[in-house]
Amino acid sequence: MENSKLKIGIYELTGCAGDALLILDCEKELIDIFNAADIQSFVMAKSDNIEGDLDIALVEGSVTTEKEIEELKDIRQRSKIVVAIGLCATVGGIQARFLDPKEWNERFKKVYGNIEMTHTKPVQSKPIDAYIDVDFYLPGCPIGKEQFLIFFTRILKGNPPEKSQNPVCVTCKYNENDCLLKKGILCLGPLTEDGCGAICINHNLPCAGCWGPLKTGNRTSEYYLLKEKGFDVEHIKKKMANYSGTKIASFLKELEKEKK
Amino acid sequence: MRIVKLKKENLFPFLEVISKEADLWAPVKKYEDKHVFKAVEDFSEIDLDYQRTIIPPRRILLPPKTNMFEATQNTYKEDFSNVSKKIIFGIHACDVNALVIMDRFYNFAYDDPYYTRARENTLILGYSCWPDEHCLCKSTNTHIVTEGYDLFFSKLDTHYLVWIGSSQGDDLIRKQPSLFNEDISDKDIQTYLNWQKEREDAFQAEIDFIDMPDLIELKYNDPLWEELGKACLACGSCTNVCPTCNCYNVYDKPILGKNASKIVRCWDACTLENYSEVAGGENFRENRADRLKLWYTHKLQAYISKYGKPACVGCGRCIVSCPVDINVLTVGKTLSGEKVDAFWKRFNLQVKKEVRK
Repeated sequence: MENSKLKIGIYELTGCAGDALLILDCEKELIDIFNAADIQSFVMAKSDNIEGDLDIALVEGSVTTEKEIEELKDIRQRSKIVVAIGLCATVGGIQARFLDPKEWNERFKKVYGNIEMTHTKPVQSKPIDAYIDVDFYLPGCPIGKEQFLIFFTRILKGNPPEKSQNPVCVTCKYNENDCLLKKGILCLGPLTEDGCGAICINHNLPCAGCWGPLKTGNRTSEYYLLKEKGFDVEHIKKKMANYSGTKIASFLKELEKEKK
Repeated sequence: MRIVKLKKENLFPFLEVISKEADLWAPVKKYEDKHVFKAVEDFSEIDLDYQRTIIPPRRILLPPKTNMFEATQNTYKEDFSNVSKKIIFGIHACDVNALVIMDRFYNFAYDDPYYTRARENTLILGYSCWPDEHCLCKSTNTHIVTEGYDLFFSKLDTHYLVWIGSSQGDDLIRKQPSLFNEDISDKDIQTYLNWQKEREDAFQAEIDFIDMPDLIELKYNDPLWEELGKACLACGSCTNVCPTCNCYNVYDKPILGKNASKIVRCWDACTLENYSEVAGGENFRENRADRLKLWYTHKLQAYISKYGKPACVGCGRCIVSCPVDINVLTVGKTLSGEKVDAFWKRFNLQVKKEVRK
């Protein structure tokens, strides 16, 4: 029986470790999780970790050092399926907010000065798919409990996970909330991946976009809409870029062009 | 059909009597100016002075997310936990008419047990309303009810005139007939007729729905659709707030630690990107313009051609919900060649200007 269980590894790169913590926080289901899968490596949860071949690797965090690039490539090589979990792994996180390499270097110097890094060389923060092929993405900041459990159970049973491509607005309407955007509030619901349960809007706060950018979100239209509602263009861009990591770089470049 | 009279102060006592055997759903205030239908126990929460709820009452019959059944390899257990005795009080005429359309959809070729069982256990108590600038129901001829209700309350100065639309409605009245009064005076009738006339004249928004099927056909390749597609945020709100939209998605929610799965049904919207995706990853309507065209063709053409009236009941929800002003009013008017002031229009002009620069 033991042998038929899928071998799983849960890894953390650079981030707040919130996604690994969320998995541990599934207290009611934790025994079921450990019963259903052979958790080979999960640094946050146990010390006897085995770094061998895996069926599934769940990777959280963004890639910010050369050492992490190596680590990530090694995980890819050992795993049949690699899943990016959480905002940092899927889009690069707040730390990957689009900055060109020159600007990044300047900022790095400003913060760290001319200090020499001996441990490993830092690199500009990127999502894991900048370096390896990723099979599935599970967005969130951190990932949602229900979404994770559905995803994890499906994948354990050999079924591909449901693709979520809906904006937050869908659940927001399920919850019968008043549309904040319609009221003139800067809400990123239409541009953001669903999965959080529209939790901010349920509490009358606008969506900040923390589940990451919806691939097909109509940024151009919302940008003009917010502009028309009187928001400062720099403010709109900042809000849109905050949780979009490297993923909306081309859109932001277009806007820069337009300014010139 | 019979019409009786109910003194205003007798309304809550009546609700008290009828809510003993069923959950009473009624409009309550959720935001400053927005209402929702809610199961109420405390009647002081009920606010009948409302325009339209954010989500239409179809939500009560088929909630956005429900478990359909739990299955293992050899067993199958249906979940009808949403089916219970309900009374929906305070539904406006547009929404009563929308439920008539929903009844038709869910009984069309095959009976949908999740809807029909909930519907059979639900009584509809309509309530009169007064139009605001977004109400289009006079144009769709759904500002009055001729079917689909058990009771309908028309509010006059000191009392209600109550239409009895079904035998179940009549049973409700008979639970405490002393609350009602059968003698309706000439003065009452005149008050009602005056109110009705004033209400007819109070409608501000208007579209000619008769021409819509032809206009959609003639303008099927009109640049209008691309313009709408450019501005559409694809948030699905127009669809989720529409009282006659009924599409849904079904997915498996496997249970950890058990060889079983829950089968979940949730609302879907044809205006969303993944609605038209099929096995293998193909998507027939990746383009937002195509999706909007589908929605409007369904509402304003296909349904009219088949049933002689639009699948729009003029409730105005798409008008108050769409952040970029894509709604039945602006689209209908544009199709009829009228000028409209809408964000999607201004956005397209702006984009064109910038391209020229």
